[in-house]
Amino acid sequence: MKNLYLKYKDNLYAKFSLLGVALILIPILSEIDVLNYSTVSLVAYIVIFTIVAMGLNILLGFSGLMSLATAGFVGFGAYGVVYFSNVTGLPYELAIVATMIIAAIIGLFIGLFSLKVEGVYLAISTLAVGEIFGEVFRRVTWFTNAFGGVHFEYPTLLGFIHLNRVWTYIFLVVMMVVMMIVMHHITTSKTGRALMAMSRSKSSAQAMGVNVSQYKLTAFLIATLYATLGGVLYASFYRYVQPLDWNLMLTLLILAMVVVGGMKSILGTFLGAVIIYGVPKLWLEDLFSGIDGVAYIFSGVLIIVVVMFYPAGLIHLFDDAKKWYYQWRVKKKQAKEELIEQGGEQDE
Amino acid sequence: MSNENYKMDDNLVLDVKGLGMQFGGLKAVDDLSFNIKKDEIVGLIGPNGAGKTTVFNCITQFYKENTGHVYLRNKEDEVVLLNEIRIDNVIKQGLVRTFQNVELIQDLSIIDNLLVGAHSKFETGIFAHILNTKKARHEEAIYREKATEILEFLEIDHLKEQYVAGQPYGILKKIGIARTLMSDPKIIILDEPAAGLNDQETEELSKLIISLQKKFECSILLVEHDMGFVMNVCDRICAINFGKFLAMGTPDHIKNHPDVQEAYLGKDDE
Repeated sequence: MKNLYLKYKDNLYAKFSLLGVALILIPILSEIDVLNYSTVSLVAYIVIFTIVAMGLNILLGFSGLMSLATAGFVGFGAYGVVYFSNVTGLPYELAIVATMIIAAIIGLFIGLFSLKVEGVYLAISTLAVGEIFGEVFRRVTWFTNAFGGVHFEYPTLLGFIHLNRVWTYIFLVVMMVVMMIVMHHITTSKTGRALMAMSRSKSSAQAMGVNVSQYKLTAFLIATLYATLGGVLYASFYRYVQPLDWNLMLTLLILAMVVVGGMKSILGTFLGAVIIYGVPKLWLEDLFSGIDGVAYIFSGVLIIVVVMFYPAGLIHLFDDAKKWYYQWRVKKKQAKEELIEQGGEQDE
Repeated sequence: MSNENYKMDDNLVLDVKGLGMQFGGLKAVDDLSFNIKKDEIVGLIGPNGAGKTTVFNCITQFYKENTGHVYLRNKEDEVVLLNEIRIDNVIKQGLVRTFQNVELIQDLSIIDNLLVGAHSKFETGIFAHILNTKKARHEEAIYREKATEILEFLEIDHLKEQYVAGQPYGILKKIGIARTLMSDPKIIILDEPAAGLNDQETEELSKLIISLQKKFECSILLVEHDMGFVMNVCDRICAINFGKFLAMGTPDHIKNHPDVQEAYLGKDDE
């Protein structure tokens, strides 16, 4: 048992799979009334926004680029899959593909901004795109049914596997684990290194043969597809999409997940989603039910604290805690030895 | 810009012809010509503000607005006009550079920094990486092996899994050089390799540069302020001042050249 643990201790695949299995246990616990029925919905939200935040993490943590249009793409993914399934009548999988292709085109278009402007100016121009998305969701009735919202059904895979609530949830978890593995593969490959090279020093990256324009577009494309997939899964699980959810507030919460959890860390992104969304919903809102918007206060304070005192993200807390513990133990041991030495001297 | 009439001598690797670069009213480089032979270490020297770094940036195509021609004998033994090549494709032709302030990726391990140097050599695309195909893993393993060999040659392979951040400056300089070797270069351009190193490290570096030139069979062009280092390492030296060519020749020839002495020490009034 211990050997097995040591063998897979640092294996990320094992960690991702273990996390997936743990998450799949939640609906079972809810069936036997250990957890609330609504807990599954809450965890599904965390799972969905882990996927979205992973995309932003590739964009921000690895490529050093900023996008404030994330929520817009999540919304687009949600509306897109409903539109292509309900109105156009495409099967679920094809509806996803169609949504993804259109989102990719828009994502590339935004990527073009990043070739011209940088830093805070890029943030502003993507913010404008996010607002355009919001306006489209509110006004373009044939696509979004405006404030009426659109209804959807649990997905049918391959035309004959009808998923119910629990199976859709499991589908979300599986997708999250798959997307974690995809992110792991991308970021540890040539692409991930090129993205990091480009954001750390543009001229050095160019001298090493990295085509900066191409990789900026790649980064935006990846982030877009992650966000859109998140939206697709949102519509699949909650089966109702309404236009006011996809605002700047949501984008900032996703950003907070990345920053608080840990830039460049996959499991950190999940941790960030749990802390930013899960903790307020699970505990804080019950504890402080009298205070409006306690979730926002909590995440706001947390962001300030993390950015100031723990900029690498809370995922590193585990490793650091281990380090501190060992340092403390070594110190204690040294103090003990000194004490013994001193004692010995006194005896003489 | 045509190179149809140009014929490069067989023993040359890099030929700079009539290079000029102007910033507003300032002529940083003016009609500069020099060349580098195969397996040769050439130093580019000149007083502060002589335009050495500008020359570097023109050769490596960071400054595209230059006038003049930079010819390179590439890896396929063809003569190419570098002016026509996009900056990130220059490395594929066999010309690679280091930076004065190293410019490594702080939050990657040393070996991963070296793999960035092999970026242009990778053939698999992003889909192969996402699926982690056999080919992609194989390619990654090959370059990891190669990076380890280079680090062994530089005697820093024991550090390979450590992060770049926090390493001493001498090690960073070595990593910078190691990174260039990943691309099997024909010619390496070193921007002030000895800047910031102490005497002992400089001594080591000059030995290292001579031995890596022999091992990897490439030419080297370097800019350096440390005259002792340049005289020690270089086969030939090119001296410039105010962007203009002064002299080129062996270290002894340069040392005794009246124009070079004047540029460094000032003119004798009497």
